[in-house]
Amino acid sequence: MNTANTDDLFLRPVSVEAALAALGDQAVLVAGGTWVMRAPLRGESIDRVFVSLSGIAHMHAISHDTEFLRLGALVTHDGLGACTRNLPEMGALMQAATMSANPAIRSTATLGGNICAVGFPAADLVPALIALDARFEVQTQTGPETVNVATYLQSGAYRGGKEILTTILIPRQTGRSAHARALLRKAGEYPVANVSAFIGLNADNVIETVRIAVGALEATPKRWHGLETALKGLPFSTAAAEKAHDHLDEFAPRDSTDAPGWYRLRVLPGLVGQAFATIADHMLEGA
Amino acid sequence: MPVTFTLNGQQRQFSGDPRASLLDALRRDFRLTGTKDVCGEGFCGACLVYIDGVPKVSCLLPIGALEGSKVTTIEGVGARETLTPVQQAFEDFDVVQCGMCFPGMVLTVTHFLQTNPRPSRDDVKSALVGNICRCTGYERIIDAVMSLHNSAEGPE
Repeated sequence: MNTANTDDLFLRPVSVEAALAALGDQAVLVAGGTWVMRAPLRGESIDRVFVSLSGIAHMHAISHDTEFLRLGALVTHDGLGACTRNLPEMGALMQAATMSANPAIRSTATLGGNICAVGFPAADLVPALIALDARFEVQTQTGPETVNVATYLQSGAYRGGKEILTTILIPRQTGRSAHARALLRKAGEYPVANVSAFIGLNADNVIETVRIAVGALEATPKRWHGLETALKGLPFSTAAAEKAHDHLDEFAPRDSTDAPGWYRLRVLPGLVGQAFATIADHMLEGA
Repeated sequence: MPVTFTLNGQQRQFSGDPRASLLDALRRDFRLTGTKDVCGEGFCGACLVYIDGVPKVSCLLPIGALEGSKVTTIEGVGARETLTPVQQAFEDFDVVQCGMCFPGMVLTVTHFLQTNPRPSRDDVKSALVGNICRCTGYERIIDAVMSLHNSAEGPE
């Protein structure tokens, strides 16, 4: 590492504007640091200017009203787990935040880092955000912008590295959600596959709104549109999750050293079943 | 400008590359080798320290982010002459094998028992999910923790 002038190697701006101004070609944004610090293990250089966001106060903030849950991008997994605990429709996010990684990582790793980690296919929070139809507030060089989670992901994390994800907005909505993940061990590692589901029912217990997101299967998490279409209009039951078997051809699962693609695909219907069972339990508790 | 922080109760400064991990700084610059360098990616917990009282893995913390923080390593837990209740229980139950995971285990368990003084066996397993014992001595580790939960004295 270059140690010629350490002041220029680690910047601590206290405003988003100052952080944006510091973002040169050789700079990297640092939130919790848990992804950036592992760059050498991925064969990437860490010899870049670190722009730490931790001094920007409002990026740690959490608030909610009848319209949105507003989360600063620096909210940690622990903070996320705590603030969503009593918000019934946020179950997927609460589970994803409290089940991922391990306690020491959950106290450090951030929501924004989970979204913006380049080349990280197994994020747990991102499928939950997709299922909950989140929007992102992004500060760009030309001003603030609000984008839907799907649009943001399609355009690639960081979208060129010249902007900063500052706030995650999650609409308050009537319904329940859950997250399920498959691991090779019981806990403490990245998921082979994960599923987040949001279900909204009408008065007759029929599925009116359904969003199902799948992560870790492909390079980027995505909606399971075929399954959603098949489920919409059906009475809600855990048996409805069986429909997942009929729509596996929407995915091109990735092979990697931890699991082959065929295995990731095989566990998927079971994960949908788990998520539906959790939602059913929560509905009973809330009834 | 050096990074200034409190290390085991003493104010210290670090003048090297602020992008270096706290783990490297502790071992190479401050000679606190109780913090172990094992997986380097946050999975094993051998490099665990407290930052402002919260357990974190030092391998993934750039030291530049620690300006003004209070860092506690295994060397700063308890008094030098006596073992803490967690350390004593680990010794009593003869659970230490190679020893690489134990500084992290002690810190995790100590913090966990402060907020969960009467845990179940499953609670202890969940708390230790980020501390890997390559010697696989988990059951005796959990026995030792449960002995503290059952004791009248409890953890400090």
